[in-house]
Amino acid sequence: MGAFVTWLRDTPLSQAFRVPLEWLWPACESLHFLGLALVIGTAAFFDARLLGFMKRIPIRTAAQFLPLARVGFAINLTTGLYFFIASPFQYAFNVAWWYKVTAILIAVANAGFFEIMLRSNAAGLGDGEDVPLSFKIVGTLSMVAWVNVLFWGRMLPFWAPPGSGADL
Amino acid sequence: MHEFLESMQYSEFGLWVAGGDTILAYPTILALHTLGLGLVVGMSAIVDCRVLGVGRSVPLGDLDRLFRVMWGGFALNATTGVVLFIAAASDKAYQEIFHLKIALIILALVTASRLRRMVFRRPIPDAPIPQAAKTLAVASLVLWTGAIVAGRLMAYTTTF
Repeated sequence: MGAFVTWLRDTPLSQAFRVPLEWLWPACESLHFLGLALVIGTAAFFDARLLGFMKRIPIRTAAQFLPLARVGFAINLTTGLYFFIASPFQYAFNVAWWYKVTAILIAVANAGFFEIMLRSNAAGLGDGEDVPLSFKIVGTLSMVAWVNVLFWGRMLPFWAPPGSGADL
Repeated sequence: MHEFLESMQYSEFGLWVAGGDTILAYPTILALHTLGLGLVVGMSAIVDCRVLGVGRSVPLGDLDRLFRVMWGGFALNATTGVVLFIAAASDKAYQEIFHLKIALIILALVTASRLRRMVFRRPIPDAPIPQAAKTLAVASLVLWTGAIVAGRLMAYTTTF
């Protein structure tokens, strides 16, 4: 791990990200928070529907807003990759970062499971009909996972190893 | 004024928020502020995008309740925002980027509530969305983006 992180930090790309492209850092942070809002907002909306709120909106109709979450996730994956390449020591040895990555993997696997296994069942639900337990489990897991992504992401600067280049 | 700001910042509460030796102080308050941001801007993005043509088959009236979630998120952020301000009052109060952030948030909230009254409260089924509402939706997206950028940049400007 140490060898990889050292190699990454010394690559020309990583160096360029720090200088002369240091202005990219605050720019990517702003984008990262914008992407966060798209993911958290859309997930909260769709998960609430999976839990049985807003029954008047059919699930496949509510799903029309999911592209907003995908756009937000793509923005955050890209900007997150920038942060990691520019300052790998800040993350690779930071337990909050590993918690965050784990939560992301759980959230994505959960969303993938819904897409592949469950979403087609949604078409059979009548207007105002109660949602099956499986939908409620997926919705709850999704909310918990995304809130963990946000929480551990926010903890990153406080848990970074000393001298690894973290700022708040 | 400056003495008042300092008395807040250096009160027992202000010092606890800024430097309390517990993850429940500054880090958790900041995390809650970020969660509130996600709810406020996320809900706003959904209703704005609906006005601009995403998810056309979702009835406008059914999305009215998202504004309640938005106001709930805002209540969380007004509260955590005041607490975070107290912890750095004598610095933040003079940051122009902070003044800009507050101004953008006020404008965004006014825009959201005008948009809500124009199209989401008691909508007429199948009525076309007025151009003015689309303008408000674009303004809302721009204003919230500006508020986020200003909020992020506050981390890079320290005046003391």
